Amino acid sequence: MAGSADRLLVAVTGLDRPRLIALVLSALAGTAAGLLLPGALAAAVDAVVAGRPSLPEVSWLLTLGVTEILVGLIGGILSARMTSSVTAWLRRRLADHYLALGTRSKFADGDAISRLTGDCTGAGLVASVVVQLGSTTLISGGSVVLLAVMDWRLALVFLGSIPFALMLARTHLKSTADDVLTYQRVSGELAARMVDAVAGLRTIAASGTADREAERVLLPLPKLSLAGRGMWRTQARMVWRSGLLLPAVELAVLAAAGFGVLEGRLSVGQVLAALGYVALGMGLVTQIPLLTTLSRARSCAHRIIEVLRSPVPEPGTLGVVPGRGTLELRGVTIEGALRDVDLVVQGGRFTVVVGRSGAGKSALVNVLGGLLQPEEGTAVLDGRPLEKLRPYELRAVIGFAFERPALLGATIGDAVGYGSWAGEAAVRAACQSAQVDDLIVRLPNGYRTPLSETPLSGGEAQRIGLARAIAHAPRVLILDDATASLDTVTEAAVEDAIERTLPGRTRLVVTHRAATAARADAVVWLEDGRVRAVGTHEALWRNPAYQAVFTGSLEGAT
Amino acid sequence: MSVWGLYRSALAGQWRGGLVLLACSVLESAPAFLSGRLVELAVDEGFAADRPGTGLRWLAVFGLVAVIGAVGSRLVWNQLGKVVEPLRDALVSAVVRGVLHDPSPPRNQPDASGVARITQHVEVVRDATAGLLVQARGMVVTTVAALAGLFTVAGSLALIVAIPVVVSVLVFACLLPSLARRQRALALADERTAEVAGASLSGMRDVVACGAEPLAALELYDAIDIQAKAAVRVARSGAARAVVIAAGGFVPLLVALLVAPRMVADGVLTAGAALGALVYLATTMQPALRGLAATASTVVLRLIVALRRLAETAEAEPEPDGTAEPEGTALYVRDLTFSWGAAAEPVVRGLDLHLRRGERLAVVGPSGIGKSTLAGLLTGMLEPQAGRVLLGGAPVREVPSALRHRMVALIPQEAYVFAGSVRDNVGLFAHSATDGELRAAVAAVGAEPLVTRLGGLDGEIGHGTLSAGEAQLIALARVFASDAGVVVLDEATSHLDPPAEARAERAFAERGGILIVIAHRLTSALRADRVLVMDGKETALGTHLELMDRSTRYAQLMHAWAPRLPQPGAQFFQRAPE
Repeated sequence: MAGSADRLLVAVTGLDRPRLIALVLSALAGTAAGLLLPGALAAAVDAVVAGRPSLPEVSWLLTLGVTEILVGLIGGILSARMTSSVTAWLRRRLADHYLALGTRSKFADGDAISRLTGDCTGAGLVASVVVQLGSTTLISGGSVVLLAVMDWRLALVFLGSIPFALMLARTHLKSTADDVLTYQRVSGELAARMVDAVAGLRTIAASGTADREAERVLLPLPKLSLAGRGMWRTQARMVWRSGLLLPAVELAVLAAAGFGVLEGRLSVGQVLAALGYVALGMGLVTQIPLLTTLSRARSCAHRIIEVLRSPVPEPGTLGVVPGRGTLELRGVTIEGALRDVDLVVQGGRFTVVVGRSGAGKSALVNVLGGLLQPEEGTAVLDGRPLEKLRPYELRAVIGFAFERPALLGATIGDAVGYGSWAGEAAVRAACQSAQVDDLIVRLPNGYRTPLSETPLSGGEAQRIGLARAIAHAPRVLILDDATASLDTVTEAAVEDAIERTLPGRTRLVVTHRAATAARADAVVWLEDGRVRAVGTHEALWRNPAYQAVFTGSLEGAT
Repeated sequence: MSVWGLYRSALAGQWRGGLVLLACSVLESAPAFLSGRLVELAVDEGFAADRPGTGLRWLAVFGLVAVIGAVGSRLVWNQLGKVVEPLRDALVSAVVRGVLHDPSPPRNQPDASGVARITQHVEVVRDATAGLLVQARGMVVTTVAALAGLFTVAGSLALIVAIPVVVSVLVFACLLPSLARRQRALALADERTAEVAGASLSGMRDVVACGAEPLAALELYDAIDIQAKAAVRVARSGAARAVVIAAGGFVPLLVALLVAPRMVADGVLTAGAALGALVYLATTMQPALRGLAATASTVVLRLIVALRRLAETAEAEPEPDGTAEPEGTALYVRDLTFSWGAAAEPVVRGLDLHLRRGERLAVVGPSGIGKSTLAGLLTGMLEPQAGRVLLGGAPVREVPSALRHRMVALIPQEAYVFAGSVRDNVGLFAHSATDGELRAAVAAVGAEPLVTRLGGLDGEIGHGTLSAGEAQLIALARVFASDAGVVVLDEATSHLDPPAEARAERAFAERGGILIVIAHRLTSALRADRVLVMDGKETALGTHLELMDRSTRYAQLMHAWAPRLPQPGAQFFQRAPE
């Protein structure tokens, strides 16, 4: 996996080749200017110390300095551009993959979001970090060469310190990666706990237990603190060692340079230049935090790869055949929900699914509508297996409304028209059918009211979700307990409206209400993941166990 | 809470650590202060004067100073964990408490992206603070030490070169606000990305069901692109400002190189002093200034933006606690009126209600009519505009909150279940309850099969592993096990099937105390002693049979629910058998 994470990083670095080349060139120019500066400075200083006019030397120094500053400016902008475009590219790929995974995704919401936001940023830095590391390496190498050109003894003294620097860098990379991973993991745990608590905000407010629940959420905090401190301690050890290493090397070189001055091999200015080269040469060590960023980029890439590696089945390639919207299950099994279910839902009819909590009603309609892929068996629409159909065609012919819909889109109108081609009039008509138009037109901006500014009750959200399904005008309309929060009068009005506006469509409705079942053409009665019986409500009502599904008065009568 | 208030209070506990940090800084700055001077001495009095012994001695001093500086650095970094991690702990705690202390949380779905955002902001503050403490602090210390050192070596030169340094720092500071604006735009774009991602990822089922993957992708792409552009804009102005600072470090060097020859020739400056001055400028101050620009422009601004966002979520002032002492648990409501705004139609108008121990009230009415608002009023979470709610004779909002929360329990529709053992979840409101009592509560509300499946009371519940109905069962068992004398079920059984709902309601009725059921299904009304019909226009209170006669709305609801039953007036409905 680590290898593939690195391959991903290599791939994203090469995405924008022209800009990468420009970045590398500017880094090279900066490197050259940086390497020449100490020499230029030495010449200027010698002029100063000798008390003679220093204009030519200073002009050369000026040229180099200006070059370095300008190249720094250009390189900074280029690397920011690359970072942001790589981040965006990774985010788009991740978004695509999440969407392709759809309901199969095994990543919790908060975790998935943090991969898209945080980890893509971390991995996006890779190009700029690598270029920076590369130019630091070049400068280090170049400064050793220039030191040798000035006086080979100095270079020899300096090189003696290089093995230490490399050793330091290696141990650092490993121990930081462990702490970083722990830190990220505990961070995720904390966020997941927070999501739990936010979901229970009303309970917490009503019971006055905010303090205690805060404690519960914060339980992993000490672990986070520990990992965090570990990261700083590692850094401290590093800085201490490198902090000593740099002056030690400086001293050694200075002493050697001092003897050079003594023997007349070096000028006073060259002592300063030697110091400059030592600083540049040791840049590799002082830039060690870059290695942390690089190791972070790698662990981020690892987390991105985890998502990209989740298998996405090939989408179907067949079109939907004309038909009445007959749905069929053949030997469908879903672990913990459905057991070897065979079922035919007649096209153009109103079918109701009933059963106790946990009988597998939602699983059944989700499989029938292609939201859930069965482990065994197939779901069929008008004679064609759902997994063989082109996804967008499938979605156009099967519409869903849920008990707790997630409403998406900027405004209420957008939320109703979400994913369909419904225009303003169609959206309005759908809302009238769903008995929610009255409510929407009383909002501050009607259909243009932003969704985020409209707190909706469960029942209101349900009706908007219904309107959304109706606006799709599908061949098959599946309502998964989607009228549970509506009173029975409103529910009946919705049903009438659907019958009027979408005549002859297959309607599949999960319900707990006997009155709804009584209006249906057929009732599918589920029990423990199996179809117990299919028939009319009237016929089934003779069975006390069936009655018990609705009334509760004959509990346990089977 | 204000931005700086939050940061200050989070840092307040760290003043000792801060002082230690400052002390370490003095150690750390020693090499910067002495470097030029010592090089000057080593060359001037030692190597250039044919006295290598003296030169080496001065270099040894240089080494000693460097060791002191390195010790300082190590102490600084060690200290960093002790300052930054507690700061992060304090921020996380403040934010978590702030979010959880929201007295009237919205009924919307929980915002997972909001949580992710908060986490990110806290990390930004942590990193930024560390960056400031390490780099910016180090750079300031070094720059000041180098300038001070320069004064000791060549005072006349120092005055000339200090001017460009100060000017460039000032220009840089003046340019910061526009950079801050861009940084803020970037922060907003970051949030927008997280928000859009959060909406479509947590609503993935709906995205797929609507066949709206392309639309969701487009929205995400938009947010991602805007974010990328904002990032580039920030980098651009950041880089431009870095140039100002780089010039500020480079110009003094040039000035010194141009001016020094004359000063040396005039004998104002010795050659060694000139060298020392240039060492300060070239090897110490210039790099420090550049580093300062790099950190200040990004770190400070990121810090400000993240803090501003965090401050919005941090804890509000707690409401003062009452001192009223209720006697018994009877609930009186007198002439209660409440509306969500001055101009809005009241949700409840002039309601009178008296509930005694052992009574069971069902509240029915269309969704969105304000039944949950009534629950909020009865439990003292909301303040009415007029009228009173008395709990055991005392105004409910004046009963000390700890006592009130013990006496009154509300189970909302969206049940709260946290990752942990079943025992912790069920025993949340009943710390002293024995396992036997908890098991009895579990059995009473019909959660036994679920708890058995989870592995008994020791079973572990993960993040979001329970279905909505299962979570409701746990929430029901939890309140059942508590000693609340008033229980309000606000559609708390909405995800259960009717038999399970009936069983849970019956269990609460047999438990004693007052039971108020905000009805999800009309069967709840049949089981209640009295029914309150809320319909926006009228609120009617009575027994089921009375209301079938008196309230047309109620009769209409009942007949829509069971169409085969006779018309109002025919006294047909009986209490549902139990």
